[in-house]
Amino acid sequence: MSYMDKSIDDLRKALDERKVTSDALFEEATSLAKQYQSLYNSFVTILDEKNETESNSILSGIPYALKDNISTKDILTTSSSNILKNYVPVYNATVYQKLEDAGAVLMGKTVLDELAMGGTGTTGHTGIVKNPWDESRQIGGSSAGSAAAVALGIVPFAIGSDTGDSIRKPAAFGGVVGFKPTYGRVSRYGLFAFASSLDHVGCFARNVKDVAYVTDIIKGEDAHDMTSLPDDHKKYTDTLNNDIKGRKLFYIKEAMEDHENSNDAELKETIHQFFQMIEKIKELGFIVEEVSFPKELLNAIYPTYMAISCAEATSNNANLTGIHFGVRGEGNSIHDIMMDARTKGFSELIKRRFVLGSYILQKENQEKLFKNAQRIRHMIVDKMNTLFQEYDGMLMPASGGIAPHFGEKTDQLSDRYLILENHLVIANFGGFPSITLPSGFVNNMPIAINLTGRQFEDDIVLNMAYKMENITGCKDQIAKGGN
Amino acid sequence: MITKEKLKEYAEKLMFDMKEEEYDTLLVEFDVILKQMDLIGQIEGIEQVEPMTFPYEIEHAHFRKDEIKDTLNTSDVLKNASQVECNQVRVPKVVEEA
Repeated sequence: MSYMDKSIDDLRKALDERKVTSDALFEEATSLAKQYQSLYNSFVTILDEKNETESNSILSGIPYALKDNISTKDILTTSSSNILKNYVPVYNATVYQKLEDAGAVLMGKTVLDELAMGGTGTTGHTGIVKNPWDESRQIGGSSAGSAAAVALGIVPFAIGSDTGDSIRKPAAFGGVVGFKPTYGRVSRYGLFAFASSLDHVGCFARNVKDVAYVTDIIKGEDAHDMTSLPDDHKKYTDTLNNDIKGRKLFYIKEAMEDHENSNDAELKETIHQFFQMIEKIKELGFIVEEVSFPKELLNAIYPTYMAISCAEATSNNANLTGIHFGVRGEGNSIHDIMMDARTKGFSELIKRRFVLGSYILQKENQEKLFKNAQRIRHMIVDKMNTLFQEYDGMLMPASGGIAPHFGEKTDQLSDRYLILENHLVIANFGGFPSITLPSGFVNNMPIAINLTGRQFEDDIVLNMAYKMENITGCKDQIAKGGN
Repeated sequence: MITKEKLKEYAEKLMFDMKEEEYDTLLVEFDVILKQMDLIGQIEGIEQVEPMTFPYEIEHAHFRKDEIKDTLNTSDVLKNASQVECNQVRVPKVVEEA
């Protein structure tokens, strides 16, 4: 009898009825993790010992995985970077502490793209993460290992972080649910900062209710994070009532048109299925309409994201010197030691992003590059907020196709404007709650829809997704590699 | 004009070095992003827009009371430093003899 492929409700019931113990669940999760590790490489660390706090919460006794850029006291936390490959935190991230207090059982730390800067799952210092539906393909990133662990049925839920699409894109490629709540809903204390104004903590699970259970536990104001939101005093699980009468959604016309002349069969099929899904969603009672969004703003999404995120990342990661923590370099002076640590400790992609960020932050470039990017961010968010006056959410394909093969997609900057690949970052610009929901298959690989709602209305977004989940046929699915 | 030499200066400021071919890739990337940023600068009305530094106005900001809290103890703080002496992180001598 296996349990790790079950929902949180099923696990809770089995534990309460004493059909299984928390020890047995931990044993199953860690055994599965070890079994799949050589093929998929989801984990940096698989724990040997279980640490469990007494609690009556829904998550008590249930194993889960944490992305390895989240601080865990006395447990190796590398951010999948060579410069931190020996780093053992001395304090707990708030999200981890909350899960500990709720009695959830950490079973491992998952692989990410180095320092969470990347979208392929291929740049972690312990190797590439493979897609559980087809190991010749990427799972996407940066929360690659967390997505793969949930897709494989190793854990019922996992924690990730999302700065551009780092939860919602790998969720789409892995056929699982990925939720990024409103900015500040979950404390960032103890999350290794990438781009502070865009960073979010969120989660993966295999159905919407499980995502709501986890978010109920991890959300809340935190004195350690001045950007955390005051508690909304809502229990999201209780607001899942399937009542969506009159809810209005929009999709962006220009994002669809852009690909009408494409020869990419997978892209065409993805869009075809998206429109079929819209019809089904309308039958549920939603109103779905096409809206126009200024093309120049859509084309500006990716460069705007690159400018802001690289600039913030350069500054945030200046503390990685190998002196106070991390892998120490060699040399006869502090300068040489730091140079050596940073030269050996960062991979090529990270260095390229830091140079770009540093250039953008130079006094002479700030106005034209950094501030203009921030102005575009404002224009995009204003446009979204205007649309949200009439609509309750934006519904889009989560990606313009299925997970790419290794080598097909890199993190190198491209001069092509790939709106369907980049639109998820809009939710980071405005801190909007945003959820990816698996919605079908193209060439036997999962595809997904994404639903983004108004700031602070996490409960409404979750409830709308909960309703849609009834007709996707993808609820609680486990990847082929996990069957 | 971005040159490889200029990029090497930035890398030096950031305290790391890169391989020659990595600078070549970076030059191509700079070309892409700077062209795109040029286009962004031409978007109508951009000059009237206030730069956005956070996703929304933070309305709940308030002064909290001063409260005494526990901080990390010295041994914890030094746990991850590879060279420690007398409760300090040891580094090579900084001040040269005259």
